[in-house]
Amino acid sequence: MATVNGQTETAQGNINSAKQPLPPAKSVDSQSVLRRLQSELMALMMSGESGISAFPEEDNIFHWKGTITGSKDTVFEGTEYKLSLSFPNDYPFKPPKVKFETTCFHPNVDLHGNICLDILQDKWSSAYDVRTILLSIQSLLGEPNNSSPLNPQAAQLWSNQEEYRKMVEKLYKPSSA
Amino acid sequence: MVSDSIPTAPIPSAANTKNLGKKKRTNRSAKLKQCKIDARREQWLSQGAVKNKGYKDGGDDNHAPPMHARKDGKRSLEELEMRPTGEENDGSIHQDSDLESPSYSPTSVNSSLLGGNNSGTHFTASSSSSSSAGCCSGNITGLDDWEAVADALAADEKHQNLCSETLPEHKTVVQMVSSCEMEYGSNLGTRESKPESALLISPASGNSRAWRPDDAFRPQSLPNLSKQLSLPNPDRHCGGGITWARTAPPYSCPICCEDLDLTDSSFIPCPCGFRLCLFCHKRIIEDDGRCPGCRKPYKCESIETEARMLGGSLTLRLARCCSMIERS
Repeated sequence: MATVNGQTETAQGNINSAKQPLPPAKSVDSQSVLRRLQSELMALMMSGESGISAFPEEDNIFHWKGTITGSKDTVFEGTEYKLSLSFPNDYPFKPPKVKFETTCFHPNVDLHGNICLDILQDKWSSAYDVRTILLSIQSLLGEPNNSSPLNPQAAQLWSNQEEYRKMVEKLYKPSSA
Repeated sequence: MVSDSIPTAPIPSAANTKNLGKKKRTNRSAKLKQCKIDARREQWLSQGAVKNKGYKDGGDDNHAPPMHARKDGKRSLEELEMRPTGEENDGSIHQDSDLESPSYSPTSVNSSLLGGNNSGTHFTASSSSSSSAGCCSGNITGLDDWEAVADALAADEKHQNLCSETLPEHKTVVQMVSSCEMEYGSNLGTRESKPESALLISPASGNSRAWRPDDAFRPQSLPNLSKQLSLPNPDRHCGGGITWARTAPPYSCPICCEDLDLTDSSFIPCPCGFRLCLFCHKRIIEDDGRCPGCRKPYKCESIETEARMLGGSLTLRLARCCSMIERS
């Protein structure tokens, strides 16, 4: 009986897919996205990268929380920033949406945590992954692009590194979570 | 007969060494050691296969080898150690094996034939004892033991001629086998519980159980090395081979993480050498058409040109059609 039931189910599945070709294609897509994200998570955990980390939220592998520590010898040394990464259904062909959760006083980060980074927009490549994104953001912290700032005040202050460091410390609110 | 039978044996081993050479360059992690061990195991089997004509007749083989094994188990252990190390160094196994196997079998052709088989069966015998020994010692901790085994083997290579201590050598073999099995077991839990049935079901999955006595006489179930190397090995994926996968030619598509099949792995769409599977390539071609590795547009793609024809120059096509009609 079980096999008979299984056959009827698959038959129904075929009929459904014939009627609605789009949803199954999407599910296949999300399958491959899932696989890719799982593989990335594995790679990230195995790589043992210091200074960056990321992990999916509780029950949704399409939403990750990441952390970046400020690189040594930069004004961000000793600070840690939480980020949220939200992966689209057509990831990795489209970039994830990455935002700072922790307030970050940086020329290329606005007050809402949005990041202006080319590889997260037009320079995205499907060969990038969470690891390279986080490393890129980490290096962006120390090397801002002051020519097109999202935070003009930060861009102005950048030339004075001592003052900038004070500002970073003043605005830095480490999240308790 | 002797000169015929013996030189044929190393030929597959030489081929194996070449394959191994590729791996060596790319893979410097513990996986390499596994490959080596696979190759050694494979070589023993192939030697047994070539030298021993009564290969499939398990009855003939069974009575002779134990005699050898018991009489000069010490020697065969030495032989066991030395052959693979010779192969590993420079592929000059020919000298070692050709010189040694007759010396260990002083009587006749027949004994040299048995010599090849002897070592093989003794090998399996040692492994069967080794698995129990590994269980008893219980200090097998995966990769660390691999390192230890590698060091021990390297040390043995240096002191090849001494070979006075058979017990330590035996221990290395023991650790090698048992840690190998431990790794298999930890990665693929089902394999450990039913190793022999697993063997029968999936012979080409890289889980070659050459260690078990029954396998030596079951050629169908023995995977050959080329299969092992070309097929994506589940153990390599699981066992921390991720950093390795970035440097070596990938076994899986870097975009979708699906395993690359034969067509995919020979598909290099961009001069930069970035590989990906055909599905992801098609998807990218339909999207922005840039190589993920270097961001340059893919060139000379039939799909792309077709799309252009359909999208851009419909009128041109129509004009051609018209002219055709006019001509005819």
